[in-house]
Amino acid sequence: MRGLRALVGLLGLSGCVLDPRFLADPVVFSNRAERRSLDCTRLSQLEAFERYPGQVPAPQARTLASEDTTVLTCAPRYFGIDERPARDEAILSTLREQVGALADQARALHGREAVWHVDAFYPSLPVAQKIAVAARTTLAERGLTVSNRVPTLAAGDVAVLATLPPAEVYAAACRRSFETRVLEGNDVFLGVMIVDARETILHGGVCSEGAWRWLP
Amino acid sequence: MRAAAWSVMAFATVALSAEPVDVDLKERQLELLRAEVASELQLQAAGLLDELVYGWTQEPPFTVDTPVVLTGVTVPVSLGTGLEAYLENHLASLVTKNPKSRVQLVHCPACSAWVVRSGPVGTVVTRGFDDPQALAQGGLAPGGKHALFLDFEAEGASLVLRARLTTLDPSLRIVSARTLTTTTSTPALLRSGERLVSAQEARKEYLEALGGRGLFLVPVRFGVRAYATGTNSNVGNVPFLWLSTGLEAAFSQARAWTASINAGFSWLPQSHVAVMAQGRISRLLSGSSTSLTWPDLYGFFGAGVMFGQGRSMLAFRNTNPTIDDIINTNTNNEPRATLGLFSLGLELRVKNRISLIAFLETLPAIEITDNIGTYVNLLIRFQSFGVEVSFCF
Repeated sequence: MRGLRALVGLLGLSGCVLDPRFLADPVVFSNRAERRSLDCTRLSQLEAFERYPGQVPAPQARTLASEDTTVLTCAPRYFGIDERPARDEAILSTLREQVGALADQARALHGREAVWHVDAFYPSLPVAQKIAVAARTTLAERGLTVSNRVPTLAAGDVAVLATLPPAEVYAAACRRSFETRVLEGNDVFLGVMIVDARETILHGGVCSEGAWRWLP
Repeated sequence: MRAAAWSVMAFATVALSAEPVDVDLKERQLELLRAEVASELQLQAAGLLDELVYGWTQEPPFTVDTPVVLTGVTVPVSLGTGLEAYLENHLASLVTKNPKSRVQLVHCPACSAWVVRSGPVGTVVTRGFDDPQALAQGGLAPGGKHALFLDFEAEGASLVLRARLTTLDPSLRIVSARTLTTTTSTPALLRSGERLVSAQEARKEYLEALGGRGLFLVPVRFGVRAYATGTNSNVGNVPFLWLSTGLEAAFSQARAWTASINAGFSWLPQSHVAVMAQGRISRLLSGSSTSLTWPDLYGFFGAGVMFGQGRSMLAFRNTNPTIDDIINTNTNNEPRATLGLFSLGLELRVKNRISLIAFLETLPAIEITDNIGTYVNLLIRFQSFGVEVSFCF
């Protein structure tokens, strides 16, 4: 509520901060669909002043000390809601948050001596690659040893795995990877996937020493 | 953006008409909109690469100059390869201009080629950089020992760059990884490749460029004021040349509103000596903030007071000068006048440095038109017209 009052106050002072792309658009806020395409973030007035010089006034010392003024910044998303498949868009828009949470959970399970391998399982290959890249980069940024190599099972194994129910396939693949020495020693595999084709929440599982464990 | 507005209008026209929707037209308009998005996205993507290479110059990923194979750039899902080529070229340009990064890009066509390798477990088809062993077996050893992977993705209103450097050996170990993101809707920083600076420094430079050199300026103005010929005279009044200086303050970095006070001095031998104090309030008319690339147009209102001494000041009296008045000027008893004035004008300013000013002034104390006439009568009589050239410091 405090932030809302501050927003109203700033609106009266300098107007809502919007991306110039949107300010110049003649159909700004003309319908609900366009409003839904906005991605809004709340910033402190100091931060907003630094990012939007000329549009947000500099905070006064008293405001700076109390930090009770916030500015709502809205920008149109790079891609409209209908431009990419809805499930892809939902996952890609939250990729940092979802992958970051999974990486933190995975990191807590194993020490720094582990060598991490990552792959993603998603119906769309380009999106699956994006997910895997995000997970590898996040783990490496957390200070873990990460390999860019993707463990690959033999064609016969893959053919058998394809016949298993989804709940068992990851555990079986994990066990088989260590049996065939695709993974060995302190190798740890992080799989990121959706379990149900209708969901937009990413799940994660860790394969270590032939045992598969779902992340909470 | 104008193209986008026309696109939207074209869509509306198509939707309202009874004719069947022209699919080609719709596709063309979509392409226009998509090109607009891409053109802004590429600036943000280039800014992220600037930040990446700047980070390398500050904390090089290698201790010595190291050959690195750029394995490719992946762009947001649903965008095309043109952006990839642009970003590859931009990165190559940045790395070339910033040797402190310790990264030397090398060419390796085989690394990005598809490689097929058959073994006891089956046949594997992969890209060369994912299977260095296959490259080595085929005699296609890459020129570098490391590979650089760049991945861009649009996540909501943010663009995210994930960069990772890996070894080009069977372990493919990641030796350096960075995730960089644009802050929501912040304009691209457009840094110079030759002199990369941090994002904070670039933003500070931008602020300084936007606001000139601060909220305060010292304008020095050279100008001339002409006074309309009176109805009782066929001889024009002597124009006054003015040199003035003062202080101008902006209310914000945008410089949409400014206020100034200045003191002026005018002198013409055998004619007059005059001083003036004036204040002005200006409003930017050409936008909501000053432009970095175009001149800015201000409208202003001013008020001031002028004091003068000399023969020319006879014209500012509400009586016709007599022969005695003119003779008395030679007896150390020169005519004097003190006047209030109000001005209305326009100022065309280039980058807070140089400006051209034109204005009209009214002298409310002048009640008769015998000595000084009227240039424009808009309920208020404007008796004076002036132009100034201003240099701001």
